[in-house]
Amino acid sequence: MRNSQEQALQSLIDDLRQRAAEAEETLAAIRDGSVDAVVVGGEGKDEVLVIGDDASAFRNFMEAMEPGAVAVDSAGRLLYSNARFRQIFAEDWDRLKGKLLSEVLPGPASQLIGKLINPDSHEAAPVSVSFLEKGVERNYLVSARPVHLGTVRGFAVTFSDLTERVRAEAAERAERIANAIIASANEAVVVCDRTLTVTHANFAAEALSTEKLVGERLDAAIPLKFPDATGILDIGELVETSLAGTPLRSIEAFAPMSPGARDVMVSAAPLNISDDEPEGCVLTLVDLSQRKKDERQMHLLMRELDHRVKNTLALVLSISKRTAASEETLEGFQGSFSGRIEALAATHNLLAGASWESLSLRQIFSAEVSPYTETGGERVNIIGADLSLYPRAAIALGLIFHELATNATKYGALSGEKGSIVLEIHPKTDAPSVEVTWTEKDGPAVKSFSRKGFGHTVIARSLSYSPHGGTTMEFEPTGVVCRIRIPASDVA
Amino acid sequence: MSTEEASTRKLILYVAGETPKSLAAISNLERICREHLPGKYRIEVIDLKKNPQLAREHKIVAIPTLVRELPIPIRKIIGDLSDEQKVLINLKVE
Repeated sequence: MRNSQEQALQSLIDDLRQRAAEAEETLAAIRDGSVDAVVVGGEGKDEVLVIGDDASAFRNFMEAMEPGAVAVDSAGRLLYSNARFRQIFAEDWDRLKGKLLSEVLPGPASQLIGKLINPDSHEAAPVSVSFLEKGVERNYLVSARPVHLGTVRGFAVTFSDLTERVRAEAAERAERIANAIIASANEAVVVCDRTLTVTHANFAAEALSTEKLVGERLDAAIPLKFPDATGILDIGELVETSLAGTPLRSIEAFAPMSPGARDVMVSAAPLNISDDEPEGCVLTLVDLSQRKKDERQMHLLMRELDHRVKNTLALVLSISKRTAASEETLEGFQGSFSGRIEALAATHNLLAGASWESLSLRQIFSAEVSPYTETGGERVNIIGADLSLYPRAAIALGLIFHELATNATKYGALSGEKGSIVLEIHPKTDAPSVEVTWTEKDGPAVKSFSRKGFGHTVIARSLSYSPHGGTTMEFEPTGVVCRIRIPASDVA
Repeated sequence: MSTEEASTRKLILYVAGETPKSLAAISNLERICREHLPGKYRIEVIDLKKNPQLAREHKIVAIPTLVRELPIPIRKIIGDLSDEQKVLINLKVE
């Protein structure tokens, strides 16, 4: 009996000891913060009390936040996530709760954000990360701030969606690049939308219109006329053809309303931004005005050249026939013919050097007389202001000077040791002719040509193409005097 | 009782809704069992916020508390189970 009482007592003591140990352990757990709720019994009804703040207000606040937000403890364990966060990762809370944030986030983002929620780390600056959300990359700015949740220290981590801003910045940058490309093009570049409204135009394009282009209708701002052969009626049709998928290249057109009314070469290509139908059209317009002007000048010059070659050949043929008729020997023909052709060539050279514009009379004289003697020396002098002659007069005068110099060398002032020649250029007046006088002195006594050969004909007739041109020869005892009348219309 | 049944731990974890320590205890317990008792445990989580009266069966006062119901004798581990060694000793896994 006594033993059974002792056993019951011992059992009671053991039970009390165990309860005391449990009570001590419970108090220690509460003190060191490893529990955060207690069961309180009263009037036969148990109740759970959460130690510290009830986190429901905090959770309600997080739930209403637009950015994704989570609360984690110091180990990075998810204590709460709001709806936006769950949406980002397409997870429900039952699957997320208690997981480490690093298990939820993709690798690179996990490392960056891991530094933010590491209690030993001092990283506090927000980090930019990107995740695939429903297969589309989205950008987030992630920041973390320390918080207390009940007895727990942890972090509130927010995920602010920057995707639209990043996209807008990328689009803005792309727009700036596109504008820079268009602006740096030397040729006119115009971009219009499907309604023909101009959206971009560079400086060269603006020069094709009197109005500011952007915002205007292309067909009104730069109306173009196309040659019938192109089959295109107007610039609107050009754009429509391009939008239908057919790029058009190097089509000549005329821009009548552009300043200076310009010829242009137009190319049009569809503006493809996505896989959908083209959003507009890119047109380049090359100004052909200078090229057209050059082409017209070239055709003019070719016709002029053709004309001059024919004239020259006719002149050479005439010189050949007349020289043959006036010379009695082959040697005589060769000498005279060569001399005349060389005279012609000398003037031609001078004219070619001056682009067939006009020639100095002094230059022509020097070119023709210098083969026989030094010009500008004691024996040959030029007096009077120089004249500028047009090609027709220049060629004629070159032949005349050649014949006069030849005669002077054979029979006149240059045939002996003492004779001299003076060329006097009279100034241009209102008279229809300008006179130039060739005067020989101190040569042998002269007499009229005993035989008026082709040389005389050249002298007499070369300037007779005009009633105000011609020559008169006087055979003075002191030497030949030739008065040359150049049509004033051929003197510049 | 078969040998297999004898070696299976029946573990009851008492939590209080989704308090931080409750979530930590669930997470820690699942990890420890997965790593050290693969296939040899059964976990029952009892939310005392929903059913406070269930605290009486094991005289639960502090939450979270883990009760090893099997094998007997019953053992209690109070706290969020973050001390892995303490948990393993009480579960007698060593």
